[in-house]
Amino acid sequence: MEVESCHVDVVGKAFVDHYYNLFDNDRSSLASLYQPTSMLTFEGQKTFGVTDISCKLNNLPFEKCKHIISTVDSQPSAFGGGIVVLVSGSLQLPAEEHPLRFSQMFHLIPTQDGFFFVQNDFFRLNYG
Amino acid sequence: MDPDALAKAFVEHYYSMFDSNRGGLASLYQDGSMLTFEGQKIQGSQNIVAKLTSLPFQQCQHSITTVDCQPSGPTGGMLVFVSGNLQLAGEQHALKFSQMFHLMPTPQGSFYVYNDIFRLNYA
Repeated sequence: MEVESCHVDVVGKAFVDHYYNLFDNDRSSLASLYQPTSMLTFEGQKTFGVTDISCKLNNLPFEKCKHIISTVDSQPSAFGGGIVVLVSGSLQLPAEEHPLRFSQMFHLIPTQDGFFFVQNDFFRLNYG
Repeated sequence: MDPDALAKAFVEHYYSMFDSNRGGLASLYQDGSMLTFEGQKIQGSQNIVAKLTSLPFQQCQHSITTVDCQPSGPTGGMLVFVSGNLQLAGEQHALKFSQMFHLMPTPQGSFYVYNDIFRLNYA
């Protein structure tokens, strides 16, 4: 059990680093991390499937951004090899003086080729 | 019941129990359940409830700001993402928090918490 949870931590962190690196430097490539069954709830708005999710993320009202991660917590989900990840951090936008704080939850499912895709994605800004 | 309404009902029940009868939370976890509380990992209903009942405050009040939910996959599980405030007795300002639940259905038609991750959101 100890070994399994360490593995989940390593995978969760590696995935999160990869995700935000793509988001900040090559946002259109995020499509590779979603599939037709994926779901995103972004500030309460629900979007389904890789095409619509990509579209949503590519059309957010800012060109450049930088995610800075504060915490990453991972656990095995009830599925064969699935992982749930809770992230908290800050989002720096060029036009904004202060970074926005956010929380995000991912449910990652293993792919055939040994990687993971995002089956469930929730994003919320933390105000106040 | 529609999933969003179910998620909201579960969350209200969870925090109501947390705030008034913390030991009763044992009914919402099982042996395989996992909690990560501010980075500390705990497994199993008994250990989880021991952790929650020994937190360094007697009284608290959760107030929920947002609840988002999605189905987690083919087994009927639900992912629930909550943000809110935690008011502790004696503290002037409420603490902001985020919490993630992965709920699994029980044979009796209810849900239990399989995954639980809690983080305070500092300014």
